[in-house]
Amino acid sequence: MEKEANPVYKNQAYGQFRELFYSYGADGKFEKNVGFHGESTRVTLQQAWDLFNDRIEEARQKVKAGLASPILYYMEKTLVTPLDLSMHTGIMVWRVKRHLKPKVFKRLNEKTLKRYAEVFNTTLEQLKNVD
Amino acid sequence: MIKLDFEHRQAGHCESGVTSNLLHYHGLTISEPMAFGIGSGLFFSYLPFLKMQHAPVTSFRVWPGMVFDRTTKLLGVKTHIQRFRKPEEAMKALNEALDQGFPVGLQVGTFHLPFFPPEYRMHYNMHNMVVYGYDNGTYFVSDTVVEKRAEISYQDLVRVRFAKGAFAPCGRMYYPYQIPKNVDVTPAIIRGIHKTANNMVGVPFPLIGTKGIRYLSGQMRKWPKKLGEEKAAYYLGQVLRMEEEIGTAGAGFRYIYGAFLNEAGDILKQDWLKEVSLEMGEAATSWRAFSYKGSRNCKKRGKAEESYDFLADMLIDCADKEEKIFRKLSKIKFY
Repeated sequence: MEKEANPVYKNQAYGQFRELFYSYGADGKFEKNVGFHGESTRVTLQQAWDLFNDRIEEARQKVKAGLASPILYYMEKTLVTPLDLSMHTGIMVWRVKRHLKPKVFKRLNEKTLKRYAEVFNTTLEQLKNVD
Repeated sequence: MIKLDFEHRQAGHCESGVTSNLLHYHGLTISEPMAFGIGSGLFFSYLPFLKMQHAPVTSFRVWPGMVFDRTTKLLGVKTHIQRFRKPEEAMKALNEALDQGFPVGLQVGTFHLPFFPPEYRMHYNMHNMVVYGYDNGTYFVSDTVVEKRAEISYQDLVRVRFAKGAFAPCGRMYYPYQIPKNVDVTPAIIRGIHKTANNMVGVPFPLIGTKGIRYLSGQMRKWPKKLGEEKAAYYLGQVLRMEEEIGTAGAGFRYIYGAFLNEAGDILKQDWLKEVSLEMGEAATSWRAFSYKGSRNCKKRGKAEESYDFLADMLIDCADKEEKIFRKLSKIKFY
């Protein structure tokens, strides 16, 4: 538990909220204190966000090179896997995986695209173009 | 417009905090560790076949919703629990309950919660919060993770209540509406402790309870060879993340449970419970030490002493301590 906010995070928005922690003192008493995360928590959280950001960047490169459809990029951006995405959209997993190919993505009809756009919280225009 | 006189108290664990706060509103004051202990929230399970954020799930708590269910059942409180298919019906039922003067607990997904700390916004559908009023499309929220009260718009509330994916909340709402006049917590405490002890040492299945900790430690020894250094570090990070953050007040709920045992010793007037609570505190401290050493490993500063074998030995140590504690607790007497 730390007094000062945000000493390590790369993203400035992280580590600004105070939370309640329980602890066990040397005198054998349980206490609760309000403070910021300790170091171990910060390291593991940063590790997770690093992995997510790497995956997003990798997906963006793939889409730009024409190796994958924009759905891959938006999928990584909302931090889901094809299985989760299938649960979110109600489209079967094998179809979701197929839609990751650019060739198949081009032939998708508007109804299917709208279902994806709703989950990703974007418009149809944004869904088709990755910047 | 309705705004109930609800007291916002921050808590370490979302669901037991919500339970404690809701009961406090109706005049039954039990602390957060008490709600956690009576609802037997302590648990351990390692589920390698279930992936969450690209790594296996390690859970330090029981199934969501169980703490509230068990606590209210054991205390004889009458409750209303409901799930929905349609968002409109769910919001209508929420408004009706608020009109009658009951603050309502909701199960929500965290990814779209606007007031939530941004570092926690992953897909996690087992979060709990209380809604205590509404005004023209805005709802007043008391979230035990956040320090202050918050507000949320109608659209956002629909979105988080009907978050999809694994463990979807389906708009689950719950509130107590009738509390017995004289509540005796003694039998509830004993039954809660018994249930937890049974969960931890009495279930003959290798993935849960103290057996689950041993199984995890066995798997951990194989990680660097099987997965490679980078992925092994990520898997370890997932265990630590589950232990230290996701709704736990540190060290996988062991501190809260220790505080509960301490309080229970006072209420039941049994001194051996207090001694056990000290042992629980030591077990919690060794969990904390495990997470500290493990995080150094995640940061790639790992020395020889912080290898996966060393961490696995630390886990075995935790398992030994907890097994000793829960074997003692399982002998608690009903009367």
